[in-house]
Amino acid sequence: MSEMLAHLSLGFGVALTLKNVALCFVGCLVGTLIGVLPGVGPVATIAMLLPITFGLDPVGALIMLAGIYYGAQYGGSTTAILVNIPGEATAVVTTLDGHQMAKQGRAGVALGTAAIGSFVAGCAATLIIAALGAPLTRLALLFGPAEYFSLMVMGLCFAVVLARGSILKAFCMIMLGLLLSTVGTDLETGQERMTFGFPPLSDGIDFAVLAMGVFGFAEVLRNLENPEARDVVKSKIGRLLPDWNDLKQSAAPCLRGTLIGGTLGILPGNGAVLGPFASYTLEKKIAKDPSRFGKGAIEGVAGPESANNAGAQTAFIPLLTLGIPPNAVMALMVGAMTIHGIIPGPQVMTKNPDLFWGMIASMWIGNLMLLIINLPLVGVWVKLLQVPYRLMFPAILIFCSIGIYSVNNQPVDVAFTALFGLFGYLLIKLGFEPAPMLLGFVLGKLMEEKLRQALIISRGSFMTFIERPISAGLLLVAVAILVIALLPSMSKKRDEVFTE
Amino acid sequence: MSLNKIEAAQGWRVRSTQDLAAGLFMIALAGLALFLSRDLSTGTLRQIGPGMLPKAFAVICAGLGALLAFNSLRYNGEKLSGWSWRGVIFVLGAAVVFGLTIRGFEIGPLKVPQLGMLVSGPLVVIISGLAATDVKIKELLIFAAAMTIGCALLFKYALGLPIPLAPWLLGI
Amino acid sequence: MKKLVLGLAAAVALALPAQAQSKYPERPITMIVPFAAGGPTDIIARIVSENMSKTLGQQIVVENVAGAGGTTGITRAVTAAPDGYTIAMGHLGTFSAAPATYPGLKYDPINGMQTIGLAGGTPILIVAKKAFAPKDLKEFVTYVKANSDKVNEAHAGVGSVSWTTCTLLKGQLGVPKLNSVAYRGTGPALNDLVSGQVDFMCDQIVSVAEQIKAGTIKAYAVASAERSPALPDVPTTKEAGLPEYQIEAWNGIAAPKGLPKEAVDKLVDALDKALNDETVKKRLLDLGTVLPTKEERTPAGFAALIKRDADKLSPVLSAAPKQ
Repeated sequence: MSEMLAHLSLGFGVALTLKNVALCFVGCLVGTLIGVLPGVGPVATIAMLLPITFGLDPVGALIMLAGIYYGAQYGGSTTAILVNIPGEATAVVTTLDGHQMAKQGRAGVALGTAAIGSFVAGCAATLIIAALGAPLTRLALLFGPAEYFSLMVMGLCFAVVLARGSILKAFCMIMLGLLLSTVGTDLETGQERMTFGFPPLSDGIDFAVLAMGVFGFAEVLRNLENPEARDVVKSKIGRLLPDWNDLKQSAAPCLRGTLIGGTLGILPGNGAVLGPFASYTLEKKIAKDPSRFGKGAIEGVAGPESANNAGAQTAFIPLLTLGIPPNAVMALMVGAMTIHGIIPGPQVMTKNPDLFWGMIASMWIGNLMLLIINLPLVGVWVKLLQVPYRLMFPAILIFCSIGIYSVNNQPVDVAFTALFGLFGYLLIKLGFEPAPMLLGFVLGKLMEEKLRQALIISRGSFMTFIERPISAGLLLVAVAILVIALLPSMSKKRDEVFTE
Repeated sequence: MSLNKIEAAQGWRVRSTQDLAAGLFMIALAGLALFLSRDLSTGTLRQIGPGMLPKAFAVICAGLGALLAFNSLRYNGEKLSGWSWRGVIFVLGAAVVFGLTIRGFEIGPLKVPQLGMLVSGPLVVIISGLAATDVKIKELLIFAAAMTIGCALLFKYALGLPIPLAPWLLGI
Repeated sequence: MKKLVLGLAAAVALALPAQAQSKYPERPITMIVPFAAGGPTDIIARIVSENMSKTLGQQIVVENVAGAGGTTGITRAVTAAPDGYTIAMGHLGTFSAAPATYPGLKYDPINGMQTIGLAGGTPILIVAKKAFAPKDLKEFVTYVKANSDKVNEAHAGVGSVSWTTCTLLKGQLGVPKLNSVAYRGTGPALNDLVSGQVDFMCDQIVSVAEQIKAGTIKAYAVASAERSPALPDVPTTKEAGLPEYQIEAWNGIAAPKGLPKEAVDKLVDALDKALNDETVKKRLLDLGTVLPTKEERTPAGFAALIKRDADKLSPVLSAAPKQ
């Protein structure tokens, strides 16, 4: 304990210099800005800002880049709540209840809850990293391909609970997502799969392209069709910030979300992406009245948002303690550290303690800044909703187009997004929900990769998934989730289940 | 499967055009995927080939689609609603135009020069804006100009993204 | 409207002759990096291009165009207008290995582009999990040959440097069908090597050096002519008994064919100046990079290197079982 305090005081000593606080603030501000813009993700921005950090010392540079990262994570939920566009896989869940709240005139409350939830989660995650960062590394190393595969299977079972309407249709969407995830060059043989021989497809479908299409563009098409529905958002503006009741309601989900997200974030195989989904599943399952979910339940924003932010932060653990980046942004942080002459590896903690603890301390400061930046902005965002829709959607379109273009600097991606917009519109017409599809899509690539790795290592024996205790445990949970979700449908009250 | 109360199956008739279409849609997609992955080897469990998972997923998709279509004959459900071409053409068309003009494009005889964001930006705003039934042309034109300038400042200068502005005029 | 047209025409008229007689470069240059930001090639591109910008007096903007093992970005770069405003930073994979790996490749690295020069070489190491039985490279060779059905090799995906160099190794050892586990990038592969799920892999020094220093994985040899100053204890393949395994991952700059001589000369000069700069040198050496020789910094020298490695890799890669 005293050791942890000593470490933290070293960290705060580094992070609380005027320069580093300023860099952290700039990072958070830029991050929030790019997070709010649909399409432009943290990866593109951090890449662009790398040269600017050349002149800074390594600690300052990394503090600023980390600020951009969690600023962007937070900003992404703003877009998800306001215009129903998830910029990142982790914001998909926030669209479910967050955007519904906005439609009910509770956009401010949703944004405020997200900000406060993220802050609480950020504080807790900072403490977790400081206290347990090093020992938790061992947990990460217990996860091999078999364990990841079972984890993904469990994740897919969450999607069943995500469904707002028919469970059968949710299954359809999960499988469709999995199918879409197999498009592109095969990892092991380099063969092209289902690409129509079209080069831009050879690396598969980009998440931003798919999400922006089936959520963003399709939502615009749906709104254009029902002029009444879209005006609801601007006609009512409720309270700007959550009141005591809202806070009381979101406190427990927020803590549970932090725990779930924080734990999954430690896994170097990008477990953080599952956090919000897992949290949402849990909240919906333990709620007294699950039917409120999908219709603007505040727990459906507080839990996943906390899980998201906690996971975003604990994702630094594998990077800082193992030297292994769990996702694309962290890979970029490796690049940033390398350019500054610090090559990430297991020795960063002992060789550069000021950098290690300084970054951890700056995370807490960054979270405080996000709160300070975002609470006043809530009013601005809500005002934006009053822009007439005839101008709002062209603005969404130009932002999305530029954003998608800048993901890979590929113009074809913009056309693809339009195609997926059409696809998403068709899905809406057919009564499908896109959220389970995106979950299937996100998990599909990883799942196939891990399945094949596990089976090559086990020489084709499926027993590997059951013989390894962690993997078996995860599969048991998956089965339990499925049974709980499907059992009622075996009984006579079938219609109630399907209308859940 | 439907949001409504279930009726016992009494004779075969289409009770939910939406679910029937959804089921057929799934089957069609699965068929397309199976066709596209026909040449990919499935491999063995020991060495899974590139075709195994796509084919497996496609078969499951088709199965679920068949179940959905079958259920649409038994349970009452939603009807298919109308399709608005105006939105599809203008909104999605605008995005396609942006993609074609931002860096230029060549498809066969069709050649579009690299116009850059100062042209593509207003195009996307104006074309998509025409999708609204309450469109005001003058307002839209001003808005398009303002948005383009704003985006140029924001993306090109504030964020420093390497996006062409107007290579034919400014060289950047 | 008429005024506008006249104005535009005037602007174009002014711009055209100016361009014809102007000095290159007069606007920012795009350097396409065909991989995601943050990877080894991207880092080298950013370090080098920052200094080159100073010499050229114009900003070099790095643009990441990832896809298909880097061939998407290189295709775009070498098929761009040969005006010197689009150049690319490629590597061993995109310039020497790609023709054999990607049958439908849309560019010809040997005859279809203008080489500028080598920016840096990165040694390749053979590394294994801590608990892997063989103690040194000789034992490793015997062990792998004897237990080819038990050993698991990891690589970062078809087309990656780690896959290319490991395929070469397996080809030379005569075990091309060794169990190979594909990962999406070096990070996940390294993770499973550290936790002991897989047995060995080949990769660039910058990715594995810190793990070796920390003792979480062990290195058998470095596939270069000389030991790397970053890991002085690791023997070369020559010292350790596998002299034929010599391969380096390098990064170099190329441009579309038909570039004006003025532009080529300026770019070559700027690259040379960058590589002589103390800060750049230090940054590159910190990464374990080997600085290119005078010869390799020239277009002809770089082209010779591409050809040499292509000749070495093509037979192995074409014969490699694609399963």
